[in-house]
Amino acid sequence: MLDVVQLLLDGLLDGAGYALVGLGLSLTFGGLKRLNLAYGATAMLAAYVGAWLHIRHQAPAWLVALTVVASAALIGLYVERLCFGLPRDESTQPRGAPIAGADGREVVALASSFAIWMQLEQLAVNLLPRHLNAFPSLAAEGQWMVAMDVFGSVSGVAGGELMLRPDRLALAVMTVLLTLGLARWLERSRAGLAWRAVADHRVAAHLVGMPVSRLQALGFAAACALSGVAAFAMLSLDAQVTPMFGMWVLLKGLVAAILGGLGSVRGVLWGGLLLGVVESLAQSWLGALAREFATYALLFIVLVAPWRASGRSAL
Amino acid sequence: MLEISDLATSYGKIEALRGVSLQARSGEVTCLLGPNGAGKSTLMLTLAGILRPQRGSVRFEGRELVGQTPAAIVSRGMALVPENRLVFPALTVRENLLAGAFKRRDAAGIRSDIDAMFGRFPRLSERVDQLAGTLSGGEQQMLAVARALMSRPRLLLMDEPSVGLAPIVVAEIFSIIRQLHREGVSIFLVEQNAHMALQVAQHFYLMEQGRVSFSGTPGELADDDVIQRAYLGQRKAA
Amino acid sequence: MSASWVHAVGLASDMAIMSLLALSAYLLLLVGRVSFGQQAFFGLGAYASGVMSALFAWPLAAALALGVVVGALCSWALALPTMRLSGLHYAVATLAFGEMARIALSALHWQRPTEDGPVGPAGIEGFRDIRWLLENDVSAEAYLLLTLGLLAAVLGLLMAAERTRLGTAWRMTGQDDVLTAAQGVSVARMRLLVAALAGGLAALGGGLYAHRTTYIEPALFDPMLGVHAVGYALLGGLGTALGPFLGVVIDLGLLDAARLFPGWRMVIFGGLVALFLRWRPRGLLDEVLVHRLGQWLRRQPPAQPPNPPTAP
Repeated sequence: MLDVVQLLLDGLLDGAGYALVGLGLSLTFGGLKRLNLAYGATAMLAAYVGAWLHIRHQAPAWLVALTVVASAALIGLYVERLCFGLPRDESTQPRGAPIAGADGREVVALASSFAIWMQLEQLAVNLLPRHLNAFPSLAAEGQWMVAMDVFGSVSGVAGGELMLRPDRLALAVMTVLLTLGLARWLERSRAGLAWRAVADHRVAAHLVGMPVSRLQALGFAAACALSGVAAFAMLSLDAQVTPMFGMWVLLKGLVAAILGGLGSVRGVLWGGLLLGVVESLAQSWLGALAREFATYALLFIVLVAPWRASGRSAL
Repeated sequence: MLEISDLATSYGKIEALRGVSLQARSGEVTCLLGPNGAGKSTLMLTLAGILRPQRGSVRFEGRELVGQTPAAIVSRGMALVPENRLVFPALTVRENLLAGAFKRRDAAGIRSDIDAMFGRFPRLSERVDQLAGTLSGGEQQMLAVARALMSRPRLLLMDEPSVGLAPIVVAEIFSIIRQLHREGVSIFLVEQNAHMALQVAQHFYLMEQGRVSFSGTPGELADDDVIQRAYLGQRKAA
Repeated sequence: MSASWVHAVGLASDMAIMSLLALSAYLLLLVGRVSFGQQAFFGLGAYASGVMSALFAWPLAAALALGVVVGALCSWALALPTMRLSGLHYAVATLAFGEMARIALSALHWQRPTEDGPVGPAGIEGFRDIRWLLENDVSAEAYLLLTLGLLAAVLGLLMAAERTRLGTAWRMTGQDDVLTAAQGVSVARMRLLVAALAGGLAALGGGLYAHRTTYIEPALFDPMLGVHAVGYALLGGLGTALGPFLGVVIDLGLLDAARLFPGWRMVIFGGLVALFLRWRPRGLLDEVLVHRLGQWLRRQPPAQPPNPPTAP
């Protein structure tokens, strides 16, 4: 029983990380109805810039953090202008979209974002060619051992101890606060209303006088800045960054975001936590490969599930 | 108040507007009639700044609007109630109204305007926190009008407000148009329902195939031949 | 043999093999779907034909053929539940599938003892000693000819198919679902058929790859490979089956072989794809250009008398 609780705890803590990572991705989708495949590479390049500062110039952690977030925002602006900045005039179209029909522009932006993904990954690796690169460490020195006796009478679990890393717990708490705070801000503030309006109906947003282009660019940059926050938080616990980071961010973030419903801020939190728990259980039952496999199987099932009502072509 | 000269807008190679010229006078309800495909909605979208014309000019209160962003046009005092309403489906009724007031900064004024809207459109006040996408067609139309009014426009553009609505609702909409006119709001109305339009408008234009083909008073419009053309889009042999 | 000749032969083989993968992405783009999972069928084909030739001593042709069948069947099976998804969800589903396939291959342990030790897939460590070509004294040049021959055959078949009702129906499906269905074409069956074909092509490429390099591992078949395949098709052009080949040539040929801009290859390639999607979304060899080229080619008759026919 204790093992199960430990598994769940580990899963939840990992899951909070996935939620944090997926937050920006879900927002960019929610805002633009387009999936930004360059998201992971954006976070990675920003992280690499931070690592570069740390390695070559011994920059302190707080400066690295600021740099990573700012870089992510700037890179996000670049991605947005190149891939997602739509012509203001709705009557002009580029000559023949690769995928015509209702899906068309959605998929064009998807495709060009993967092209930028390739660009950004290469730039990162050019900056720091080695596989392992040091990153400022904020990892905790030891672990907390939480005595289960405290909960014993409530949960019926006999004595024993749970292992809990305080830094991971801090990350999880930060994620929850950030997610809920962001959701609230979106619902209550004028800027949040504008973002939701633009996401809901672009043309109507134009008609009420919202600066749609500018809002989309700013929102996109802000979402990418979030990816920088996630990158710094996760990497500072590992104290290193590798070229695999970009793909990891994209895939984990994508699964968390889709599980929770693309565009839903609170949903990403649930999606991430669910993913973490499923992975944890899969690993304990069937091993490390099963853990990886479960991630994608879960995603696949959620996408293909027959009870999904939205976004299907009937043919 | 609004002067449109030789406006031409194309979708790729399709010329939807081929040199439209007309005027809307301050304090009046000006109505543009015409069959489907005549280009009326294209004209409205061009006026609102959503579409960019290939040539021509739109002067509102003496200032040129062509080339301005939709946001700037709203700031200048012109608001569009679009065809198909285009409410924000995932936002509540209240949020839709707030969105309409986006360009304004006076929080107290916005709040009192929202209350006024609920007074003017009682059906909306019953659905304040309901998602706009779940409203009926008539309610969405009211919401679209209310939302446009939230920006306190001096000229209200309305694109086929009666389409797809039951006669009772249509009558409600037009009584609101009459009311707004009495309050001094200038209205530029596009309609297919010539009968209802005859009851509210002071001046009529008829548009066919991207051009204005008639301009005149309600009396002149009531001439059978012209209405026939407005409904059927073809000349009737005299 | 000079080093540069060996390099050139290897490069040409790689280009031909990658073209097959790019063609598989291209086919799906034609019917209106972006797939980030084609690398899975490439990998499945590589493993399947590698296993048959290395563990069961099948001749190359048979091993490749089995790989194609495996790829086609798996692709068809994947298409069954996924084709009805919207473009975006489909893309993500194929990405997920690609990873599932890669992980499944990482778990694959299937070894048979031989005189030289066990041979076969060893999970994450990969699959060594796919030595059919070496054991049968097939030179690199001969293999290049084989690969090019297969590519040419595939290209020929595809270009011929484009002229048939079937080929027209493919393209229509990608342009407009509803219109195509109204013409009496079963859009769903069309997409399934094309998916099977695409899977088979990717698997063929994979099989050829496995035998060329003699060593494959699951990590090779990652999403980036699939992403590249789509990129080649989009850049080279969707107007003709030669398009993806052009995309491959641009990337592998110019940028790599010519060593232009070392270390900036992906930056340039990615930049090109993004720019083209903005202003020329059907790629270099898009339908319009292909049509014009076709007209130009047809208007060049052999010797013709300079005098125009006299008017009546």
